[in-house]
Amino acid sequence: MLRDERLSQYALLIVALALVAAYLFPVYWMYVTALKTGNEITAWPPTFWPANPDFAAAEVWQRMQMATYLKNSAIIAVGVTVIVVVLGTGCGYALARVRSRWMDVVLFSILMMQVLPSSLMITPIFVAFSQVGLLDYPRSAVILAQAAKVLPFYVVLTRATFVQVPKELEEAALVDGNTRIGAFLSINVPLARNGILVAALLIFLQSLGEYVYSRSLIQNRALQPATVGLQSFMGPNTSDWQGVMTYAAIYVTPIILFFVLLQRQIVSGLTSGALK
Amino acid sequence: MPATSSSFRDGRGFDRMLVWITLTFLIVFSAFPLAYNILMSFQSVDLFTLASFDRPFVGLDNYKEVLTNSATDIIVKNTIVFVLLSVAAQLVIGFGLALFFQQRFPGATWLRGLFLAGWILPGLVVGAVWSWILAGDFGVLNWVLQTLGLTDDKIFWLSDPTNSLYSVIIANVWIGVPFNMILLSVGLSAIPDDVYEAAELDGAGRVWRFLTITLPLMRAQLGAVISLGIIFTLQQFDLFAALTQGGPSNGSNVMQYWSWELSFQDYRIGQGSAVSVLMIIVVIGVAAIYVRSTRHEHAA
Repeated sequence: MLRDERLSQYALLIVALALVAAYLFPVYWMYVTALKTGNEITAWPPTFWPANPDFAAAEVWQRMQMATYLKNSAIIAVGVTVIVVVLGTGCGYALARVRSRWMDVVLFSILMMQVLPSSLMITPIFVAFSQVGLLDYPRSAVILAQAAKVLPFYVVLTRATFVQVPKELEEAALVDGNTRIGAFLSINVPLARNGILVAALLIFLQSLGEYVYSRSLIQNRALQPATVGLQSFMGPNTSDWQGVMTYAAIYVTPIILFFVLLQRQIVSGLTSGALK
Repeated sequence: MPATSSSFRDGRGFDRMLVWITLTFLIVFSAFPLAYNILMSFQSVDLFTLASFDRPFVGLDNYKEVLTNSATDIIVKNTIVFVLLSVAAQLVIGFGLALFFQQRFPGATWLRGLFLAGWILPGLVVGAVWSWILAGDFGVLNWVLQTLGLTDDKIFWLSDPTNSLYSVIIANVWIGVPFNMILLSVGLSAIPDDVYEAAELDGAGRVWRFLTITLPLMRAQLGAVISLGIIFTLQQFDLFAALTQGGPSNGSNVMQYWSWELSFQDYRIGQGSAVSVLMIIVVIGVAAIYVRSTRHEHAA
């Protein structure tokens, strides 16, 4: 009886591994293609393991100017994350603590602003930014637009975290003579640290892959992020798949590592934000 | 003045200030563009009037031109097909996987979490990888289909207008499956085991238990996943940019991509605004229904 159960558990495990492998095949295919030279890429039937692995990372890094593109992506992602954390953390806290009609209205409007698609907001943002001269600072323009896009999501995530911080600790600190802001910074923020970090990380990763705003607001190649760069190397008749996949692999490997390390926190953060 | 400053330090003023910091930023960079968008959709906006604050009003002309455009029919139809098929496929596959990973075996939770890797990657990278998988001549998907005997000839996924929309749908489903699966898993774990055990004692089979217990108890979760699926699907832009650019001949064009195309490639910015306004109404409508329904769940 017990042996049967163990056996069926291993059978399930094998099926599960097969499902994960099938789902993640595109990621595998990206890495394998990055290691293939031109002849092998057009081989038919395709090879599932490179016959002569060819590391093109250094050459692609140089030729496709990846240092510049990745630097711009990092600047945009850091800028967005800083703005969002500084402006949004307090709001998440206030929405978790105060229950009133007017807070309900605020939360509702924030949720509505969370769903506005970038591809639809870019038209008015482009015109307004160009009229006030913000397009002269294109990366800052992207940072501001993207921060407005993801700030609601961050507020919703941190609100779910602050709901779980017990009120009593803060009240005790207030009785001891702390100011509200003192209690917020020394009690609530440290206790909600993990949730804030996960939310900030999700915002950072999302902004690292931002495309619509960067494509539309940044004309100067030297200021464009990695997504726009990747797109420019993928014409309709691309044949340099090794180059494109190597570029993609260099770009997303840090993201994948981050994800594998923090998988559990990311999963729990996400589910709490989407359902509460 | 002293009264307000002490209110910041000790009273309700502090909460209000925190909320207003966020709201001010959102009003300037989200609500204002939203209003400006509506205004521009009634104006003639092109490269010449772009910088002007005094643009001619044209009434409903932008909307009329957009709705009578020869491409409108196919783009509206594509948008509907794109949303329906993507959401349905994500839901079915995501639900199936959620049910599978609900069973007890070593590493179930961790392996389930790995699926989210697909969700966390930049959309443009996902698009690049799929455009190589779907490539007509040397794409691996055609090899798989041929080997399985599902097709004799190579399918030109991206360059054939009858297929191009489906290639974007395939990639979009790939992105959406993990999110559906994780949210539905949360709902499944909340169903107590003894409900199933009681039904099993009553002689209910697997399928019957799924239909009479799982589905009804998952109603709220399914509603959430479907609404969020529609919202995310209407936000999808990167895949179109990476895979088909809406082509060939609008074969895979959808409203949210068309709006961008009108503004940034044809420079008919007023018309881009009109399409954008129409779609924002749809998105906000879906979101409002979703938020209101979750409210009722909490109140009950």
